[in-house]
Amino acid sequence: MGALTGWLDEFAWGAFLILRVFLVAAAFTLVFGVVGAAARLSGGVWARLAGVYVTVFRGTPELLVLLLFYFGGAVTLTALARLADPGAGFVDIPPFWAGALAIALIAGAYATETFRGAFLGVAPGQIEAARALGLAPWAILLFVRLPQAWRIALPSLGNHLIGLMKDTALVSVIGLNEIMFTAKMATSVTGQPFTMFAAVAVIYLAFTTALSAALAAAERRARRHLAR
Amino acid sequence: MAALSLTIMPLKGTAMRLLASLLGAALLAVAAPSASRAAETLRVGTECTYFPFNYRTDAGELAGYDVDVAREIGARIGADIAFVCQEWKGMIPALLAGKFDLIVASMSITTERQEKIDFSAPYRVSIGQFVAARDLNLTLFDADGALMPAALEGVRIGLERASTYESWLKAKAPGADVAYYDSNEAMYLDLKAGRVDAIMTNPMKAYLSFISKPDGAGFEVVGPQLEEEAYFGAGVGVGLRKGHDDLKARIDAALKAMTEDGALAEFGLRHFPFTIHPQAWKGAS
Amino acid sequence: MGFDLAIVAESLPRLAEGLALTLALIAASLAGGALIAGPATWALLRPSRWLRSPARAYVWAFRGTPALVQLFVIYYGLAQFEWLRETSAWAVLREPFWCCVLAFSLNSGAYTAEILRGAIAGVSDEQAEAARALGLSRGRIFRLVVWPQALRLALPPYGNEVVGMIKTSALASTVTLAEITGVAETIAAETFAPYEVFLSAAIIYLALAWAAERAVAAAEHRRSWPQ
Repeated sequence: MGALTGWLDEFAWGAFLILRVFLVAAAFTLVFGVVGAAARLSGGVWARLAGVYVTVFRGTPELLVLLLFYFGGAVTLTALARLADPGAGFVDIPPFWAGALAIALIAGAYATETFRGAFLGVAPGQIEAARALGLAPWAILLFVRLPQAWRIALPSLGNHLIGLMKDTALVSVIGLNEIMFTAKMATSVTGQPFTMFAAVAVIYLAFTTALSAALAAAERRARRHLAR
Repeated sequence: MAALSLTIMPLKGTAMRLLASLLGAALLAVAAPSASRAAETLRVGTECTYFPFNYRTDAGELAGYDVDVAREIGARIGADIAFVCQEWKGMIPALLAGKFDLIVASMSITTERQEKIDFSAPYRVSIGQFVAARDLNLTLFDADGALMPAALEGVRIGLERASTYESWLKAKAPGADVAYYDSNEAMYLDLKAGRVDAIMTNPMKAYLSFISKPDGAGFEVVGPQLEEEAYFGAGVGVGLRKGHDDLKARIDAALKAMTEDGALAEFGLRHFPFTIHPQAWKGAS
Repeated sequence: MGFDLAIVAESLPRLAEGLALTLALIAASLAGGALIAGPATWALLRPSRWLRSPARAYVWAFRGTPALVQLFVIYYGLAQFEWLRETSAWAVLREPFWCCVLAFSLNSGAYTAEILRGAIAGVSDEQAEAARALGLSRGRIFRLVVWPQALRLALPPYGNEVVGMIKTSALASTVTLAEITGVAETIAAETFAPYEVFLSAAIIYLALAWAAERAVAAAEHRRSWPQ
């Protein structure tokens, strides 16, 4: 246990980095989820594309997605950039963004299905009334659909976000120096892998527990207008 | 049904506009084009975790034999050196993709690798050796120093992926029981735990980061130092993309000067009690 | 950025070897998880705090931490203890395969226990009451009334758990196991063509997930009451 004290600040720094990756990825997840659900509900080619997205990212191991992003993401972006400007230099995605994006795409696939069900759960009468009142489509999405779908989606969405939090442990695979990396370094110096990796586990447990409590509070708040 | 379409239809236009603006923003925000040619800044890819050749000190600075050599080359050819940390197994793909311009990461010059990239002349010798627990009493080599594949039965060997040790072992003992690791640290941990009976790695490094430490007590090198050029190459060189012969010539000239005026020897002695560069200049002169 | 199909063709046989190991890993881990979930679920449903709290702590710990961290604690962490290395258990724990099975079983057990608990709780109380009114013993009530219905409720989330295990098995590559992802990484390192090889591996996993979903759907269909 004493071996840990020398590494506390590295662990704190790594934990802070994990938190940042999670927050960025969570934001992306919500966006991917809403857009994906909208695409699936719109029908036509967009629905099929979104369907492929959901199948691929729910069925492929997270580790593999990260590895593909690591090796292929920058190459793809560079190729795209070169289409626009042949003299363009190497377009690099910093590992922070590559990792956050990769895990957000995975959680976003689950969120797409959740939001799809939630949007379908919004009473059509609400939409009719909104259109009758002359609201523009974007206003309807923002002020009528989302607030109500949000309440339906929240429990499942909460589970996806907890999964997202745990997936952040994998971004060490693509070279982000966060707590897994710190634990490996500490292990090679102190020779105590159990202590170090158990410390990582405790940090994650603290994060997921706090996240669950926050989600429970959000659920209660979203239902506050409903009779108890 | 009509109600459902009322729910769905208006989503289409909004969703599409959202998607388009998001894609545009994402592409702009994420693309960080880095300067490629023009200003003489050479980006150098290195592992950053390969003590004592390239590693971070406690202060967070990059140090090591490879780091010293790279900086000196830059000084001599008049280029600024910027280091990019890269995991070992992705080193060549990253160079090919343009993430950096040079590899100075203790990468051995092998024919396999030369199919994909060019190398400068060697700046360090390339050798491999087995490391195992003393009380295992492993005898893997016969009196002439040749490997006895039969001796490897029931012995599990730990190797790093994409290493020259892997090529050597696969050629000499294709049926060997091998466990692949992505990092040296993990390999030493498992060697200590007895999950692998022996590992094959660079003996200089094994000595400094494992055998000479308290954790490594009871372990020793087994068998002779192996330096077959076919597998380990002529040595360790600077990697660069094909088609940059002028840059290669400049680097070779710098390395030749560094060999002759003792700079390479000095760098080697900073970390080892012996020099580690090829004594006779092995480049095209 | 060319796409080299030849590399894909060459790597398929080796990936197939990895597939065999992946399937073994998944099967063993799911079995282990089911074995652990039995007593865990039982303990979760007891009124006694002494039984319920440890079970809840187990579920909380293993659902609240990443599988990768659990794997590292067991694979690297347990090896730290000299006394453990002296016991006969070490012959098993020394092997990466069994370490992975242990870690993944503990992980799966926590999720499965929670799924079963929810399913059993989801069977309406009236069923049990009616059965008691008919004079059935507690054991029979559970076996003949509650369990079959709970099983049906548990199938969809358990199907997710099976797919989850397929994906989790890829983590075994980080501790030297040569399952699909491990083989893919080795081939990628040899050929310098990571894109093609990892894509092939991803397709194999997708095929596995699809097969698993079909199997669960078929099981659900067979268990459903005629509507």
